[in-house]
Amino acid sequence: MKIMKIAVTTATTAALALGLAACGSSEPAETATPKADSSAAGPKFAGETLTMWRLGDSNPAAQKYTDALVAAFEQQTGAKVKVEWIPWPQVNDKFTAAAAGGAGPDVTEIGNDQVPLWQSQDALHPITPIVGAGDQAQIPKNLFGLETIDNEVYAVPWGAGSRAVLYRKDWFADLGIEIPKTWDEVVAAAKKIQAEKGKDVDGFAFNGGSDANHLLAALAWSEGGEYAVKEGDKWVGKLTDPAFKNGFTTYTGLVTEGLSGKSRLTQNTVDIRRRFANDKVGMYLTAGWDLPGIEEDSKGKLKGDKLGFFALPAKAGGATPSFFGGNDIAVWNDAKNKELATEFVKLATSKEWATRYATEGGLLPVYPDALAKLSEDPAQAPFAEAFAKAKALPADPNWTEAGETKAVLQNAARSVIEGKASIDEALAKANGELESILNQQ
Amino acid sequence: MTNTSTVARGGGASPAPGRRRQSPPRPAKASGLPAWVVPYVLLVPGLLVIAALLLYPLFQMIVMSFQKVGLRQIRGVPAEWVGWDNYTQVFGNEIFWSSLRNTVGFAVVTVSLTLVLGTAVGTLLNRLSTRMSTFVVVGIMSAWAVPPVAQGVIWRWLFDADAGMINWGLNLLPDWFSRLLFGRADWTGEPWLNDALSTYLVLVITVVWASFPFIAVSVLAGLKGIPSELYEAARVDGSSAWRTFRKITFPLLKPVFAVLTILSIIWNFKVFSQLYVLMNGPTNREAFNLSMFSFAEAFRSPPKMGTGAAIAVVLTLLLLVVTSLYVRQIVKTEEM
Repeated sequence: MKIMKIAVTTATTAALALGLAACGSSEPAETATPKADSSAAGPKFAGETLTMWRLGDSNPAAQKYTDALVAAFEQQTGAKVKVEWIPWPQVNDKFTAAAAGGAGPDVTEIGNDQVPLWQSQDALHPITPIVGAGDQAQIPKNLFGLETIDNEVYAVPWGAGSRAVLYRKDWFADLGIEIPKTWDEVVAAAKKIQAEKGKDVDGFAFNGGSDANHLLAALAWSEGGEYAVKEGDKWVGKLTDPAFKNGFTTYTGLVTEGLSGKSRLTQNTVDIRRRFANDKVGMYLTAGWDLPGIEEDSKGKLKGDKLGFFALPAKAGGATPSFFGGNDIAVWNDAKNKELATEFVKLATSKEWATRYATEGGLLPVYPDALAKLSEDPAQAPFAEAFAKAKALPADPNWTEAGETKAVLQNAARSVIEGKASIDEALAKANGELESILNQQ
Repeated sequence: MTNTSTVARGGGASPAPGRRRQSPPRPAKASGLPAWVVPYVLLVPGLLVIAALLLYPLFQMIVMSFQKVGLRQIRGVPAEWVGWDNYTQVFGNEIFWSSLRNTVGFAVVTVSLTLVLGTAVGTLLNRLSTRMSTFVVVGIMSAWAVPPVAQGVIWRWLFDADAGMINWGLNLLPDWFSRLLFGRADWTGEPWLNDALSTYLVLVITVVWASFPFIAVSVLAGLKGIPSELYEAARVDGSSAWRTFRKITFPLLKPVFAVLTILSIIWNFKVFSQLYVLMNGPTNREAFNLSMFSFAEAFRSPPKMGTGAAIAVVLTLLLLVVTSLYVRQIVKTEEM
């Protein structure tokens, strides 16, 4: 999940969210009718089919929400909606294939940090008019930072998120481990877990896959480091700064100090989640959207009070800043019927559906009053704490190439872990590459 | 070239089949085609298919290697001509040189191992009874029949750090023996697929495992064609097994070896699927080979098809040069 979504639910509230979803299912019937009148779309689109891409796993909670949304849309417009699920690690490859002329979506969920890239490839259709009116006018304008390019809006925020550490509450209780307040306590807890649960268990899982930068960024930012800063119209790499280096040292230390297996340098959050569900991971950085998948992969064994979240603590204590992320929804530029696709985005991001999307999917709602109501819940403290300090990775269409395709920092970490380069050498090399990627035309 | 089929059609008084050889070749007037055209006409369908499926894409690849081709260009913006930019960029990239080294090194090692192992197995198969040799051939050919992705998956699991059979098996060795052989006794959690070198070790095993059966069976077929009198004569003269192989088997099988070597070079230069599976996708750039590098440039987002095409052109040229040098060598020695 390249995107950071904010998980509002903790393990304990996951059950609650499911409960809400169940209660909520009676509501759409009342609200769908007035919507149909106001949109005046009516049966205009009868007989048409809309393809919608949802990103991630079709876990029961997400499936249920999508089914309800689709049903409401079909009732409103008379069109049929075909939903396809794309796992996060494949999203860029699928978008590439779709943009190159393959079978693509009409409407797609998209990570907010992916919007600049795909807009630069002419893959998104501007939908500025819908954010100026109706419910969408209530979404705070500062949430449109990545979505607004040359005064046109290319995607609408659907849910926002930050990450926290998911841990095995049952193991912590067994072994008498307190929730860590500093990074050193995280390390101690991880070592204790490995000592008791087996050497092949990752105490705190290292992420070196496509979404590795969510973990590295949190550690680097907590030291005051930055990836790159824009000076004039050029990006200047900051990887060699001592602050970034400290965070990077902590990051590679996860493996060099043995908290995470050396054989899994390329695992991403999806791989880690699978191992977590099989009792092979004690802690890892993620958010509430992983919970349904864990329950499914562990055949129902890992859920509820066996799991918990805490905010990732910094070296000096206090929460580390989290990546400011979110999921958007956008109209694909090759949509057969852009008007119909825009209608779908409009319905999905209406207050009712966007709020349900966030609360049922483990993210924070983008509507301020819904967010205020949710953040009163003490169970969301870890996410609220991280979200308060949320920061962004370099906002540039080329960032995806550096962060995922070329995996610049993942490869730097690998060479350090394997002892092929010192941290300074690896970071100097990565810095040069990062600059050349970000500054290419 | 004698022409048979068209003559029969055109000639009113076709000679009896038995005497056809003796009669002078007749021009094929009635068919409307001069005799020399016929072979070309018959070649046309095949050539058309090859041109459409092979030559045109090849030509397109060469054109693209001189252009900047990204998603925008694929979606209709005319591609920009950039001259040799893609090539200078590729040659200036250190990943290109490590990929080149990996590609060539892997091909040399794997081609030699495959040929040696395949020949050895083929020669030994020849000494088995028909039933036994059929049994073994069926057995090894099933390894050859495994699709490349499945080969990768099988060996990736065997070499898995935590659950793999290889680490488990190495741990079962007596400690002193393991230490004597490898200098270490504990193999728990040994990550085989991290480092470029050990990844290639696994890749060599995977590819040799899957490709030696074809060599063995081809060699076996060749051996069946060598008259047994030669071997009897050698035995009477008291020749050793190795000498017999060197003086009789090898020279007589030379054409077979020539073809097998060229095929192996071509196959091993472009190994892709197995490596992709073993590496868990194109992340570890030190372990790239040229195919993987070309793929990563051309198709991972954002796609840079121009650079990818330039790498593919280099790989193709390299392969053509190696193959043609080898073919020339063979032709030369045949003449002598």
